[in-house]
Amino acid sequence: MRFLAPSLLLGLLAALLPWLVHLIGKRRALPVRFAAMQLLMRAERRISARRRLREILLLVARTGVAAALPLIFARPFAERTTDLPVASLDPQSAVIVLDDSASMSRAAGLSTMFERARDRARALVRQFPSDVDLALLLASAGSSPKISELSPERARVLEALESIVCSARPADYASALRNASLILAGSAHAKRRIYLFTDLQAAGWESGTGLPASGAPEVIIDDVTGAAPWGNRAVLDVGVVPAPEAGAGGIAVDAELADFSLTGMRGLGVGLKVDGVAVAKGFVDLAPGGRGHKRFLHRLTGEGGGAHEVEVEIDGDAFRLDDHRLAHVELARSMSVLIVNGDPRTARNEDEPFFFAAALRNGLPGAAVTIKLPDDVSPESLGGTTLVALLNVAQPSQAMASALARFVSAGGGLFISVGDRVDATIWNERMAKLLPQPLGLPRTASALPGQHASEIVDDRPAERLAPIDRSHPLLASFPERGEGLVSARFFKYMLLDPAPESAERSVILRYESGAPALVEKQVGKGRVMLLSTTVDREWTDLPIRTGFLPLVREAARRLVGVTGDDEAASLRAGEARTLVFSGDEQRLEVSRPDGSVWVARREPASATNSVLYSETDRLGTYHVRAVGADGTVSARPELDFVVNLDTRESNPARLDPALRPDRIALASPGGKPPKHRVELWHTLAAIMIALLLCESALTLRRRRA
Amino acid sequence: MSEGATGSGEPPRPGLLDPVDLARLASLELRARTIVEGAFSGMHRNLHPGTSVEFTEHREYAPGDEIRRIDWKAVGRADRYFVKRFEDETEMRTFLVLDASASMGYRRLGVSKLDYAGYLASALAYLVGQQGDAAGLLLFDEKARSFLPPSTRPGQIREVFRLLESAQPAGRTDAALALGRLGEQIDKRSLIIVMSDLLDSEPDEPGVEARGALPERLRQLRARGHDVALFHLLDPDEVELPFDDLIFFEGMEPGDPRTLLAQASDLAQAFKRESAAFRDRWRAACLEASIEYRFARTDAPPAEVLRAFLADRQRAVRH
Repeated sequence: MRFLAPSLLLGLLAALLPWLVHLIGKRRALPVRFAAMQLLMRAERRISARRRLREILLLVARTGVAAALPLIFARPFAERTTDLPVASLDPQSAVIVLDDSASMSRAAGLSTMFERARDRARALVRQFPSDVDLALLLASAGSSPKISELSPERARVLEALESIVCSARPADYASALRNASLILAGSAHAKRRIYLFTDLQAAGWESGTGLPASGAPEVIIDDVTGAAPWGNRAVLDVGVVPAPEAGAGGIAVDAELADFSLTGMRGLGVGLKVDGVAVAKGFVDLAPGGRGHKRFLHRLTGEGGGAHEVEVEIDGDAFRLDDHRLAHVELARSMSVLIVNGDPRTARNEDEPFFFAAALRNGLPGAAVTIKLPDDVSPESLGGTTLVALLNVAQPSQAMASALARFVSAGGGLFISVGDRVDATIWNERMAKLLPQPLGLPRTASALPGQHASEIVDDRPAERLAPIDRSHPLLASFPERGEGLVSARFFKYMLLDPAPESAERSVILRYESGAPALVEKQVGKGRVMLLSTTVDREWTDLPIRTGFLPLVREAARRLVGVTGDDEAASLRAGEARTLVFSGDEQRLEVSRPDGSVWVARREPASATNSVLYSETDRLGTYHVRAVGADGTVSARPELDFVVNLDTRESNPARLDPALRPDRIALASPGGKPPKHRVELWHTLAAIMIALLLCESALTLRRRRA
Repeated sequence: MSEGATGSGEPPRPGLLDPVDLARLASLELRARTIVEGAFSGMHRNLHPGTSVEFTEHREYAPGDEIRRIDWKAVGRADRYFVKRFEDETEMRTFLVLDASASMGYRRLGVSKLDYAGYLASALAYLVGQQGDAAGLLLFDEKARSFLPPSTRPGQIREVFRLLESAQPAGRTDAALALGRLGEQIDKRSLIIVMSDLLDSEPDEPGVEARGALPERLRQLRARGHDVALFHLLDPDEVELPFDDLIFFEGMEPGDPRTLLAQASDLAQAFKRESAAFRDRWRAACLEASIEYRFARTDAPPAEVLRAFLADRQRAVRH
């Protein structure tokens, strides 16, 4: 033990005071010649052991208190060797970057890599001299900075460290180091350093180091793994497709598995859970570093178009987050679609409903699809049907028009597409109540638009769709720029006559010219959707575009009010999900896998009727429910989604040493382990307080006695 | 036998002087008379009840006896001459035995135990003298220091007073030895009144036997037909230890090596318990030996103590 102010140790002489007081007090004792010595000695024998012990303890306590004070003022300290960066002992500004990405949650003995990293970060903070300015950042993608301003308050940093929970997001070291550099740029200290506590996984460094080309702060990496390699096995992907061969409600669950080790795995257990219940189990052999696939067939037994949670799980290893993966599935099994083929052809792929029916069957497994010619359709045949699609029908009969009006008003869905055979005049006359807008004249595109890369070359003049508005529920699941949809070319379409503005009517898609492409209208309890072009390849190549299937699927769901899964229903941790308000909904609530609830309120002044939910840092299923203007709460299963791990986190490959941004060795250059100064006055102060309490208790006891 | 305790815990009767007030009186004789008068206010009974005309025994006629005392009825029955003897004619002698060792000199407030014993002894001697009985005195420490045989001669009581007034506390205590000597010298039935603090002589204390065995001596006296009463005198300090300071205690008697440095307040509770147990042991030992035990604190009015003693004795005789 050494002292910063050894001269103050002279104060230790104060420790003699209690002894002097004791001796002087003894001399000052009143002498009394007493007759009953025999009784006195007996009484003294009775209590002497207790009394002497108390006297000794009192003397020790008082001596300890008298000695502790000068010791505390002398600032004692001890020096201990440490494996923490020796650079931390300099005066400096430092940003601590703690890797809280998913891979840090893997087990390391009784704790996790994250806990190990946090412990070392905590030890480093305590090791810093008191004049070091500190900030604290996290390395996971999209994380918020914990302390973004440099401050010498170590207690605040320690408190912030304590509150951090390892996330399921992937790492983004470039962003973290970039932000750390920005924080350090305003530092007053000459030495500016970034201390990164990480497992040095290669994933997360794809964007480089993020450090500025010049004037970058020093980076010190603390590899909490000790450079020990680790093997891992993961479920990389889970896909669910209809499986009619499995019977009604049959699905096929395809799981892609991977091994990230040098040994591989024989007989790896793979299980299937549906709605949390284990329904199947199998085994897979994985070669070292290889991939494997497992397919499960299963029949969903629930009634109606309910949502299901499908989970594939493999035998556990140290990294548990990638040992299972979820998929959100909804089957519209009760959907019964009647397609009226207005332009039958002998060649199947030229038949009007060919692409439309295929999209329905594949997009909505379980949906019953019936195709009839217009003459075969009677008003009675609408019974039991939930969706009627009139594809390029020349003219509906009066009876059929009346039957369809009743059908839609009662809640049925009607999809209308046009074509060369449509007689707009009769349609406008007989279907006026149902058509979102009166049909006009066909229009042929006059100019050849810009040609997209790798698209099918067609020299016919065509027009494209205008940028889509994803705030519409039907389009919410499409990519932001509408890939697969806006690339479609429209050679001919039917113009629609103007109609008065109405709350029941809305344009979902428009052509670049501004003409409506897809219009919907609420009629009674049902809904009608009008596509102003064909659903075969006669007027457009939309049917062969990737966006056709989701467009038909979502249109069908919307028309019959069936909720369903979409591409956006499966996110990777850290990705955002757009949630759309519907009708008079005022509030959306997201129940997270850990039970917490996130609430978004509808902004009356907002131009959009959607919110972006980005707190997807927990794996599992997120359920959404809506609260209407009248306070009624209803589930919004079509907005439910699952969050899975970003599979980059499963790969244990380490960062190439040549790409490491750190340039300072952890150990001191002399080979001697660095020493860490530990101040002892806190301990002494605690001991002094304890002694004071003892002294008070003993004195009180003595007075009571 | 009767026993009792008198001390400051009981309020003194009006007109009874406490020991400090008594000490202000000029002579021991006056103190004795004051005590007796205080004790006998409203109570005119003798120390030896049944005197005057009460018949006690027959004795064979001897030349010199009054003819009128001859019991002619007894002569007729036994054909020999007997004279009647009455209570006031029995030779009842009273021995006052006082412990005058150094420990009896302890005094912090009030009077010492020896002074207090002197007050009681002088009052008793005065009373005995008034009744025409013989009173004697033995002052002892580790040996018999002064011995005045009982007598009814004129000036006997004054001699008792003189010896009591001149007594100074000194020496170690050996009451057993003194009482042993006394027992050897008394050949007639007597009332023996012992006054002592009884410290360092306990009935049950292991090792005390070697120092004299006072209880055994008292039992022997009682077995020989003597009437024995024991006044156990203690200073209030020896009952309660009412000190607050750090005290260096030393023994009082010569050659006593015992010392103790202690915060007296720490010891007070334990000391009170020890003192009470000490008195209880003596009380039990006296009860067993049919000896009258009477405990008195030196802050109690002596007349009160004397009155209680006499009252108990009269009650015992009546029953």
